[in-house]
Formats: sequence, C-alpha cells, structure tokens
Amino acid sequence: MSALPIEDIQVNVLTDVPWITLVWNDPINLMTYVTYVFQTYFGYDKPKAEKLMLDVHEKGRAVVSTGSREEMERDVAAMHSYGLWATLQKDL
Amino acid sequence: MFESGLNGQITLTLDIAEREVLGQLFDQVEQLLEELTSQDTSDPLELMLGMNGSTQISNDPALARLFPDGYSEDEHASADFRRFTEQDLRQQKIAALNDVRKGIQATANPAVVSAPEAQSWLKALNDLRLVLGTRLEISDDDDFDFDGDEPGMHLYNYLTYLQGTLIDALN
Repeated sequence: MSALPIEDIQVNVLTDVPWITLVWNDPINLMTYVTYVFQTYFGYDKPKAEKLMLDVHEKGRAVVSTGSREEMERDVAAMHSYGLWATLQKDL
Repeated sequence: MFESGLNGQITLTLDIAEREVLGQLFDQVEQLLEELTSQDTSDPLELMLGMNGSTQISNDPALARLFPDGYSEDEHASADFRRFTEQDLRQQKIAALNDVRKGIQATANPAVVSAPEAQSWLKALNDLRLVLGTRLEISDDDDFDFDGDEPGMHLYNYLTYLQGTLIDALN
C-alpha cells in the first residue's frame, strides 16, 4: 500500500468542502414549532434545538446541518415539507 | 383543541363551527396547491419520478412561501432543485390535507389522533397558517395582535392557538 501523493490529498480536501443547511427567520412559524421540527427531524436534544431556534429568531438564520450536497438537499426538502424557510449552500 | 392523555394518546375536540371553518380553509389551501404550475413534459419517466416541477418560484406570495427556493444565491441550482422536488412536496402537502380532512369528519368527539395523523395535522395546520399569514401580510414577530379587528386575524390567531395545543400535546 502506498501513500497518496500530497497533491491528491489537497484535491480531496477541496472537493470535500461541506455544504450547509440554513434555516431563515420568518414571522409566522411558531418558536415552539421550529424547536419541535429540529428535535423531530434532526434528532437534536431540546437544549440544542432551542439554541438553534433562538439563533434563527435573533440572528435571522442558523446553520442547522452540515454534510454532502445531496444530504443537504434532503434536509432542505424536509424543512420545506415542515414549512420552514431553508436553503443550502457551500460552507465557505 | 388537541390534548394528550395520561397514556400519551392525543385526542382532538372540535365543535361544529370549528369543523366548518377548518374544512373551508383546508379546501382553499388545496385549491391554491392546484394552482401550482408544473412543466409540460411528455417524458413518462420524468412524470413517474415527479421531475416535472416548475423551475421558477411562484408569483403568488403564498405559493412562494410554501415552495421557497432551495438555494439562496444560485438561480440555476435552485431551478434544478425545484424541478426535482416541487411536485413531490406538493403531493406530501395534499396527502397531509386529505388526512386532516378525514379527521375533521370524524364522528367521535373527542377523536383519537394517531401519531402519523398528528404529523399530518402539524404540517397542514402550519401550511394553512403560512398561507393565511402571508395573505394578511404578517411581517414581523411583533405583529401578533389578539384583539385585531380584521376577521382574518381572528382566524389566524385561532389557528395559532390550535397548533399550539398540538405542539404541547406532542411534547
């Protein structure tokens, strides 16, 4: 077994830049509802779900999950099914 | 209102007026969902896989809120995402609506709400609040006005209350 040349490793790091799912604040969704969705869909415990909900509420948006592009598209579609305003993007 | 019993079972109590108004409101959401356009395609595979979603966000603010863009800064990726996911999302919303309409017609009162039915109620009620809230142009978190004279506002506050009892019951 031979070690990967250093260039290949760097290429891998670049293409593995993670993607993120953002949830944006909106005036209609209830805070308790958003917390419930984060707990139910992502399996986060209540303190983490509440912290993320408050970030959305106070900062206007929060990163709720990180992963591959495909995974984030799944998460965004799921958030849309709950009526949350979510988008994905590359984590820059 | 929704309540949770000692055994964790969720029940729903609705009077006749509530059934009537909820039935009408959910019908309106369904009509709105029917207005969502799809791409004309004759490709049976695309139709089978639900890949015939539109590629542009709706001009109707309520539909735009129910079917938002998937990417905030990439129009092309957003268009693809919408084409592949929008029709499926629409089907999910219609399925939840159909579930809750069965619940509204239940003869038992209070009626037992199963776990999957509770999830349908949660999503359908939230969609309804999003549609009504968008129509009422609720624009920030300070807009809650429980004494609002606007009839739509009374409905909106009632839906907020009803959804609140469901979230409490689920917790």
